[in-house]
Parts: sequence; structure tokens; C-alpha cells
Amino acid sequence: MSSISTRRLQKELKEINNDCPQGIALVKAEDFETWYLSLQVLGESVFADETFLLKFRFDNQYPISSPSVTFVVDEHFQAPLHPHVYSNGHICANILGDGWSPVLSVTSVCISLQSMLASCTKKERPEGNDRYVMFAPEDPKKVDHFSS
Amino acid sequence: MSSAPEPPPKDVPPETITLVESSIPTIVEPNASGTSAEASDMSSLSPFELQQLTQNVLDETASSRPLITESIPLAALREEYENGSGSFVQQIDYLRSLGFTNIRRTKGDGDCFYRSLAFAWIERMLISPRNQTVEVAKALSMLDSALLILKAAGFQELAFEDFYDVITSLIRHIVVPEPDGETLTPQILLEAFQDLEGALRISRNRKLGLTGIDMTVSNCIVVLLRLLTSAVIRTDPEAYAPFLFHPESGDEIVPQEFCERYVEACGKEADHVQITALTKVLKLNVEVAYLDGHSDDGSVSFVEFQNVPLDDNENPLVLLYRPGHYDILEKLNAK
Repeated sequence: MSSISTRRLQKELKEINNDCPQGIALVKAEDFETWYLSLQVLGESVFADETFLLKFRFDNQYPISSPSVTFVVDEHFQAPLHPHVYSNGHICANILGDGWSPVLSVTSVCISLQSMLASCTKKERPEGNDRYVMFAPEDPKKVDHFSS
Repeated sequence: MSSAPEPPPKDVPPETITLVESSIPTIVEPNASGTSAEASDMSSLSPFELQQLTQNVLDETASSRPLITESIPLAALREEYENGSGSFVQQIDYLRSLGFTNIRRTKGDGDCFYRSLAFAWIERMLISPRNQTVEVAKALSMLDSALLILKAAGFQELAFEDFYDVITSLIRHIVVPEPDGETLTPQILLEAFQDLEGALRISRNRKLGLTGIDMTVSNCIVVLLRLLTSAVIRTDPEAYAPFLFHPESGDEIVPQEFCERYVEACGKEADHVQITALTKVLKLNVEVAYLDGHSDDGSVSFVEFQNVPLDDNENPLVLLYRPGHYDILEKLNAK
């Protein structure tokens, strides 16, 4: 039984393996539920020389429903210090909420986030970070203001 | 399935990524503000009345409702307004005087225009007294040429091919029987559009020729129609740009951003522009009856989207619009 998400992710995986955009690399994709990709910002940037790890989670209605995307925060990785990224790795981006569309893909989300980091000039956390992190559920898609 | 390098996707230019501090939940489906005739009628409502109207639509389309219902007599819709708005009752009576008998309700999830149109269109092919094989062949050939528009719009094949397969399989199944000898029936079509859950969906998909595929047919078709709509606007931006506005602010918006935010994203209601684009590519004649409770003589205005010569043997598809929501209007005895 192949769900729509499996069909689509098989194709995306093939494409990522063939031709992955610069600065983005597939780290782990052992199933069609959770993928990890690394992200680096190219060129001059406040994030030069930093590597971030993105975790994508897909439900069986992907790509009709958006993936849940977070920066991994563990002993090896930190969330980028960015006004739209909370310290727990949650990302505030319209394309991951009600701006999502099935035209977008894992790669295009990575490129968008890469460009979001590249355009950053001041490394700081979003306002209210501590309070948000204290109350946020683990999955950002379960936060009201992320996915309306 | 092509693994050849695709042209750079137009859809996500890094410089136009939209970031929000805290996006506002989309509750109210933006309606036809400022772009079409009914705007003046709507503007005479007080903000409270408008809110009430919208709330009524939202209440009646709570999440438990099916994505699309059985055909319901218009009298049932009339009853709902009998204790409230006399002008709505008058307008419903006007529709009945024109021969409309039934309504099929779609869920108010922001996809109701696309879902209503797709259902009405495929159902008409299914129950058409004309030569079904010819009708199906025409539809499939039209969809085949629409692939070119999707590609010309810069969409990657992987973004649309699964959805395309779902709609073409469904339409083909009107005339091409499954191994068990069955072709599409109105009941199976309705179930397909209701997106049943789990085991029911799998057995029903098998009936649709989608053996081994656990797909939500209804939403896949909505997505394909959204992408087609977007592709028409993206490939003819000069023609559409003058009519593109932010549904909330009324500011001008460039075609690409309009398509990304208000056409391709699910749950964003369609307005005049989207209807124009989609009916054009599908080569459909569609009429939208505006039931807005604001008519001096109790009549209902119809906005016509004519894309093929009118034909005595085939009436246009008719959708019923109430502020913020589309349903299907039917003349059952005429079929």
C-alpha cells in the first residue's frame, strides 16, 4: 500500500540523491516519516562556518499537508541564532504554516531556510523565546500560530 | 519521473520568502471583496452582520461535515433561513422558480470552490445523456494539454504528476471498467469525493482503479485544480495582473506571490480571478449564483464564466455562492 506521501517522497529522495543544492546535504532518510538534512549558509554570512541539522517529519497526507520542520538541538547541533528561530529549534516561517503548498518540497524548504539565514544581519532570538520554549509542544505543527 | 535537471523552480525564489512573527490563523475565507459586483452589496452590511454571516457559514461547516454531501432539496436550505433572513428566503424561492431543485453542500474548508467545481464537472460527465466515451476522451485530452501549461508555469513534474494521475484515473473509470467489470457509479464518485478514512478508502480506491494506492482522492483533485489555476495565471501574468489584489488589504500583488499565497496553498478560497482562470483551462461554462440577501426584487444575480459556445444539450455547471462559501446548485428533474 503506497500512500501519496510515499510516492512523492520516493521521487524527492531520488532527486536529492541526484542533485542536491549547494550547502544542503541529506544526512539520513531511512524511511518516509523522518528525514535529516544538514544546512550551511554559503558565502559571507553571520552563520559562515556553522552547520545546522534540519529534521523533517511527514504525515501520510504530505505533500498536501506541510512537513513538520525543526532545527535539531542536541549535544552536536544548535538552532541558528536567528530572529525567526526559537532556541528549541522551532522555526517561524509562513511556508511551514498556512503558506505551505504541495508545490514546495524538502529541497525548496531547505533553500528557503538557507536564504532566510543568509539574509540575517543580527544574531538574536525571537522576542519571547524563553516563554515560548517553556510552553511549546515538541512538534511545531501542534502550535497554534504555526499551523492555523 | 524525469530525473533530468529541471529549470529552477519559479515557486520559491529565496528573496520572496514570507516570514511572519506570528501568523494569524486563517479562519475567515476571504470573499470576493472589491473585485466583483457583489462587493457593493456586501459593503452595505455592518461589520457585525458580516461577521454573523460568515459565522453562520463556519458553524454549519464544522469539521464533522462530509467534504461533500448527498443532493439535498433546496427546500431544506430555505428552512434554515425561514426564521432569519426574509431576503434569503425570497432569493431561494427565485432560484426554485428558475427550476433549481437541489443543492449539494461542500465543506467550508477554503477548498469548497475547487471541490464543488470538480465534483459537478465529473458528475456531469458520468450522468451525461451524451456519448460518455466522447466526453471522457475530450476531458482527458484537455487535461493532457494542460500538462504543458503546468510545465510552462515552471512546476516540477513531481509537484503535480501524482495528483494528475488521480484525476485522470477517476475520469477514465467513467467508461473504462475495472477488472471486476465495474465502471464509476454516482455513489462511488460521491464516496471518492468524501475522502473516507482507512480501510473504506482503500477498498473504494480499488474500485476507482487506484489499486494499492492509499490516496485521498478529493484533496488530490483539489490540489491539481489549484495548480492548474495557478499555472494559467503564471503563464499569462499580464492578463491577470490588473485583477490581483490582497484579499485582506486590497493592495496590488504580483502574480507569482498571488499564486503562491492564494492559489497553490490549500484552504485559500477562490475569487473571481481563480474562477476565470480555472474555467478557462478546463474549457467549462460555469455560472455562479450570488445568494447574498441583498436584492431589491428578490432575484439572484448570476455571474457567467463562458469558455465554450453555449450548447442547448449541455447546461453550464452552476455553483451557489453565499458570502465566503460555494456549493453546487442542481436541477435534478432536468437531467
